[in-house]
Amino acid sequence: MAQEKTVTGTVTDADGFTLPDVMVTSSSGTEVFTDSEGNYSIQANEGDVLTIESLGMDVVTVTVGASDVYNASLRQSGAIELEGAVVTALGITREKKSLGYATQEVDGETLSATPVQNFADALSGEVAGLDINQSGTMGGSTNMIIRGYSSLFGNNQALVVVDGTPINNGVYSMAGQSIGGGGYDYGNAASDINPNDVETINVLKGAAATALYGSRGQNGVIMITTKKGKRQKGIGVQINSSITVGSADKETLPKYQNKYGGGYGGDGTSFVTADINGDGIDEDPVVYVYDDASYGSAFDPNLMVYNWDSFYPQLPTYMQMTPWVAGKSTPNDIWNTSLTTVNSASFTGGNEDGSFRLGFTNHLFDGPVDNFTIKRNTIDFSGDYNFTEDLKVFASMTYTNTKGKGRIATGYEGRNPMQGFRQWWNLGVDMQKQKDAYFLTGQNITWNVTDAESLAVGYADNYYFNRYNNFETDERNRYFGNVGLEYQLTEWLNVMGRFTFDNYNELREERIAVGSAGGQGWIDAGGAGEYYFMNHRVSEMNYDVIFNIHEDLTDNINLNANVGWNLRVNERVGNSAITNGGLKIPGLYAITNTAQALTEDNLSQFDTRKKVDGLFANASLGFWNTLFLDGSIRTDRSSALPIDNNRYWYPSGSISFLFSELIDQDWLSFGKLRGNYARVGNDTDAYQLINTYVFNPGFGEAYMATSELTSNNPELKAETMEEIEVGLEAAFLKNRISFDVSYYNRNTYDLLTPVDISSGSGFGALWMNSGDIENKGIEARLTIVPIRSENFTWEMTANFAKNDNKVTRISGDNEFLQLGSMWNIQVGATLGEAFGTIRGTNYVFDDNGHRLVDDRQTLENGSTNPHYGQYLFTDNNEVIGNMNPDWTGGLRNTLAYKNISLSFLIDVQKGGDVFSFDTYYGYATGLYDFTAGLNDLGNPVRNPLDEGGGIILSGVKSDGTPNDIRVSASDANNPWGYRSNFAPEANHIYDASFVKLRNVTLSYSLPESLIKNTFIKNFTISAIGRNLWIIHKNVPYSDPEAGLSAGNIQGIQSGAHPTFREIGASVKIEF
Amino acid sequence: MKKMKKYIIAILSIFLMTMGCTDEDYANLNEDPINPSEVPAGFLFANATKTIFDQMGSTSVNRNVFRLFAQYWTECQYTTETNYQIDNRSLPDTHWGIFYRDVLFDLKNAIELVENQEITTDFTPAVQANQLAIIRIVEVYAWQQLVDTFGNIPYTEALMGSENTTPAYDDAQTIYDDLISKINWAYENLDSSAVGFEDQDIVYHDNIESWKKLASTIKFKIGMRLADQNPSLSQTLVTEAVSQGIFSSSSDSFSLQYENNNTNANPLYADLYLSGRQDFVPANTFVDNLNELEDPRRSVFFDSNLVDDDGNVYYEGGIYGSLNNYSLFTHIGSYFYAPDIPVILMDYSEIEFLLAEAVERGYSVGGSAEEHYNNAIRANMEFWEIEEAAIDSYLTQSNVAYSTAPGTWKEKIGMQFWIAMYNRGFEGWTVWRRYEAPTLNLPAESNADIPVRFTYPAEEQTLNATNWSAAASAIGGDNLYTKLFWDVN
Repeated sequence: MAQEKTVTGTVTDADGFTLPDVMVTSSSGTEVFTDSEGNYSIQANEGDVLTIESLGMDVVTVTVGASDVYNASLRQSGAIELEGAVVTALGITREKKSLGYATQEVDGETLSATPVQNFADALSGEVAGLDINQSGTMGGSTNMIIRGYSSLFGNNQALVVVDGTPINNGVYSMAGQSIGGGGYDYGNAASDINPNDVETINVLKGAAATALYGSRGQNGVIMITTKKGKRQKGIGVQINSSITVGSADKETLPKYQNKYGGGYGGDGTSFVTADINGDGIDEDPVVYVYDDASYGSAFDPNLMVYNWDSFYPQLPTYMQMTPWVAGKSTPNDIWNTSLTTVNSASFTGGNEDGSFRLGFTNHLFDGPVDNFTIKRNTIDFSGDYNFTEDLKVFASMTYTNTKGKGRIATGYEGRNPMQGFRQWWNLGVDMQKQKDAYFLTGQNITWNVTDAESLAVGYADNYYFNRYNNFETDERNRYFGNVGLEYQLTEWLNVMGRFTFDNYNELREERIAVGSAGGQGWIDAGGAGEYYFMNHRVSEMNYDVIFNIHEDLTDNINLNANVGWNLRVNERVGNSAITNGGLKIPGLYAITNTAQALTEDNLSQFDTRKKVDGLFANASLGFWNTLFLDGSIRTDRSSALPIDNNRYWYPSGSISFLFSELIDQDWLSFGKLRGNYARVGNDTDAYQLINTYVFNPGFGEAYMATSELTSNNPELKAETMEEIEVGLEAAFLKNRISFDVSYYNRNTYDLLTPVDISSGSGFGALWMNSGDIENKGIEARLTIVPIRSENFTWEMTANFAKNDNKVTRISGDNEFLQLGSMWNIQVGATLGEAFGTIRGTNYVFDDNGHRLVDDRQTLENGSTNPHYGQYLFTDNNEVIGNMNPDWTGGLRNTLAYKNISLSFLIDVQKGGDVFSFDTYYGYATGLYDFTAGLNDLGNPVRNPLDEGGGIILSGVKSDGTPNDIRVSASDANNPWGYRSNFAPEANHIYDASFVKLRNVTLSYSLPESLIKNTFIKNFTISAIGRNLWIIHKNVPYSDPEAGLSAGNIQGIQSGAHPTFREIGASVKIEF
Repeated sequence: MKKMKKYIIAILSIFLMTMGCTDEDYANLNEDPINPSEVPAGFLFANATKTIFDQMGSTSVNRNVFRLFAQYWTECQYTTETNYQIDNRSLPDTHWGIFYRDVLFDLKNAIELVENQEITTDFTPAVQANQLAIIRIVEVYAWQQLVDTFGNIPYTEALMGSENTTPAYDDAQTIYDDLISKINWAYENLDSSAVGFEDQDIVYHDNIESWKKLASTIKFKIGMRLADQNPSLSQTLVTEAVSQGIFSSSSDSFSLQYENNNTNANPLYADLYLSGRQDFVPANTFVDNLNELEDPRRSVFFDSNLVDDDGNVYYEGGIYGSLNNYSLFTHIGSYFYAPDIPVILMDYSEIEFLLAEAVERGYSVGGSAEEHYNNAIRANMEFWEIEEAAIDSYLTQSNVAYSTAPGTWKEKIGMQFWIAMYNRGFEGWTVWRRYEAPTLNLPAESNADIPVRFTYPAEEQTLNATNWSAAASAIGGDNLYTKLFWDVN
């Protein structure tokens, strides 16, 4: 046994400043802390390992050798690391340099710096190859795609794993919500993860990196490591507090015209006439407020009219005339500021036998519209304890309670105010008057009634009535965490048994008040009110047993291996119900308050259960710390697949070569070449093998049932993904410049998809192994530190990712697999093109690529051609857009001067398309500014043709000469909008490119000298900004990122919500 | 320490064993606990039958636009469908899909279930035959409806589920031939001494004689459809059917009485009332003709919302195919807003009009054309509860009476037949297709000709391309103006 001796040293930070209160532990069990000068002194044996750790810093380990002095320099964690440990699949910690695949880390500090509703939003632009898309509905879901869409119908979302616990990230919205059919986006469940508890995030991109997760890891894994207790003196306390104010970005709201009032323009007027004032002359102008468009009469302040506010006896304006003018207050005025406050406290502690961390976070969001709040409370606890030298127990548990109220509905329905405000609006309506009318009466005093006598609600409710009466509430109680034992069987072998769980119960309730417009939600309420609830329990449990082998075979050859078994159990059990025929008693929202008996139409029940078990083995060999070889194999068995085909195998292998070990040059700090190959198998959802029937409501004495729309298939087999990846990492000039670049090619085969089939078969679709997709691309990161001096550091990190996606096979006759459709617009996979093509009618082009106009004056039947001078369009749908971006990138700059640091991120997307139902309808209804502008002659474009109005569309006639036919734009049948097939749907496809200043953080820490003699260890205040500036975009009136929901259908905007600019401040105190 | 190791290994092995499942356990876990994999045939039969009535009675612009095609009604703010653009809302796909998936496929499965059902003392061979015959009758109605909408359609290769996802199209005339033999089989196999579907029979409530009469009436109607195309077959079918016994009063109608609740309401209740929308007004095409005839049915067909300065109700239809301000035109009558009104697929009035035509064509069906014409109008007016005196006087009007009304027999019958088919848009449109009468308007915004068929579903072009293009060329082009095989004039 070696001699015990006193080892001393000084601990400094990267800039050379000494660090007090740093814990130094030796592997023989002694523990000391550095003094105020950063010095420590500890008794240790030769061969002991000293662990030097401090909160917020990376851990450094040193092996005690012959020397008695070991100085250490700690780096702030989250700084770009080239060496050191990272957490890989299944929580296995590996030396980063030994990995033969791409990973990218994000520091928890970056993440929690700017408060977001969903932790994933904070990752936008930070990681090459991770495409984050916020749906734009505040509190809604976030789409997380790594390396493109590789499954057609299956889940493409990255798997989120928190400390080894896979988190269910389902959305479970109403069918059709994601393509614009209406409904709420309740957010995906990963929003329950608390950014303040996150220590680091490691994004595992490729199949080789995630092979140990089996099919779960097919879409990449976002590994979250939460903050843990540390061995330290006393109890560590950290307090974070932030407040953020959000306001709508005007660039993402409509720009309204203010020249013409309500109407469709068929008769050119906004009015009907009647005798209102009783003078016996029925020529009083009454605004025809049933028209939800703005193609009516030109405003004229000298014209006195009866408008909606003169119809209601409850209003002081009853029977009064008002001037015919545009509403002073437009729908853009409904947006207030939002307020987000996040307060959290955490306590950490530990000694040689164990450690713990307890955290509490309260997150309050007060939305930018009336009656909208989201409240979330999170308590998390983690701890570990060493029973003996060899046996360790660990456990962690997070409890989250989320309560939402008054979320804004999405898509094409009345509870989404933006449906009306972007698509169907009468600009003669003054929103302030609507507001006053609601607050005066509490009633649904809407501008849109069928007629002045019946006052029956037309299409639209009073917005404020809608907000306060037709709202949803939701509550989710979630528990996730794990418990396990780790036992060191021998020096080289340990075994871990672990149970991880993620379980939540959620109740969603939606209300429609008596007296609201029909067609609000699910089935037509007919103004009689509705109540809906959905109650479900979603759970995932994993049982893992993993043997880990760690052995130095020789001095220069090391073996890391593990063998394990996993069982995963997924369940979703619940039910939903909706009242039938309205409510018996207005205002009482309970299912028993249904006016008519509930039937099969009103009830549904879900009970899906699935088990997958797997066995896996993995081995990694390291040679001379220079060459690392990895191999793994896994087999899974799924209950969702037929017995004969329920087991599938897949291997992976990778190689990592540190060439910098062989090149001894000052300028080269680090260099690594890596490559890998992996296969992953994937199963499908439960109950897709045997056909079943569904019950319909009985009629008279008869019972009813019908076959399902989609045929199941007992012949299904697992789909497989194959990927090869090569990468190069290097750093130069003492890490002042570093980069990491990867190329990958992944093919997914036998995609499990419900393929549309001819309805003549009796089914609309058939589950099949139906096609192949190829994704290939490059990801790159470049970090440059232009300046690093004692007081000033400037660091720049750029990310870039380009993914090419192509559908390479579709079985049968199909050339297109539809994922969803809304009216004539289809989103799906087109053979030979990208997954996520958008199809609709297109322009017809001549050989030179010019748009052709219809120059036939008369039709074959001799009547005049109403399309004379309008664009020709294709009879059938063509590919008119593609939701996938060409490339994405991010540029983060961090500047630190003494105690002040400034960090900002520019987020870029090039390409990708969106189809806008907002302009499709809104251009026809004449809301937008340009529909009331001047034409090339300088006349109002809405003037009749014989008064110099109308426009000449840019294009050519059939003989190739430039178009010179002037067409009318004086009513809703104009050449821009949806009506009468005058404009092809391709007219509403927009390039979704953007450049955004995503976030800015400016922080100041109290200098060491000021707090030296207090109990405070760190005091930081920051100013934060998020979504501050859309520097560039091509989509008019909305954010190109605005969408409807996370999921496989993107690229559709309908009733898009605006984007919110958030500005705030935060304080962090540690003591 | 050694002991501890053993314990842990033992615990782990137990853990592994208990968590392991056999393949059979896995297969059992994958059985849907909510939805049945088998149901009685009657459930499918009743559901399919109701689905036909729902589809044919609807006026949702996403499902059924035949009332607009026939120019009974026109649209107010949204004028796409009245201008005969049916692709925007995928109307051919919907109509086709409902008939194949929700009607014919369920009926086919019901037939298989009945054929394979074990004979018992209650389920005798006679009951089995009755059930099969009844399903066949509904099936023939549905197939004919599809043929009369599209022309050639998948038939022999249809409804095979995953075994044939790209069914070839059959020639429409060949399908008609097979329908004739099916309806004959059904007629011959009905036995009124045995029960049929009992409570699952939502139309005739297990009256086998009524089904028998329906079978021969459907044969009669098929016969009349063929009058121009195959006169000798037409005459044979019609005279056979008449001798077997066809509808003789409005109580024979193939109709479904809906219920006074939201769930089982007439589809118009959702379209017109519950939606709260004001999408439709009666079209000028229809209103002008009824005004000209001073037709007493106007008070039922239309609302009396327009009153002139003298306090008299007048009727003015919206301009067909144009933007129309709802408040300025006559509205649809309040009758159509009630939940419990029937949807009628075939009725006595319709049969009498066809009998009048048969007489004109020289078929020996008894009676004169005028008698049948008058019976038809009277039956229809009685259905709409027009007073007898008003009916009598109407029938004697010179522009109504068969002897004096203007035009050829096709124009005379066409006009009154068209009026009588109000609320039965498909038949109204078909009257125009068969008689080229009455004269309909060109829609204001598109000036497009009036279609004579539906185009095939857009999805057939992508999902069943080879067969679709063969069918398109076989019928002479997949467009709205390709005439059906029986539409030879």
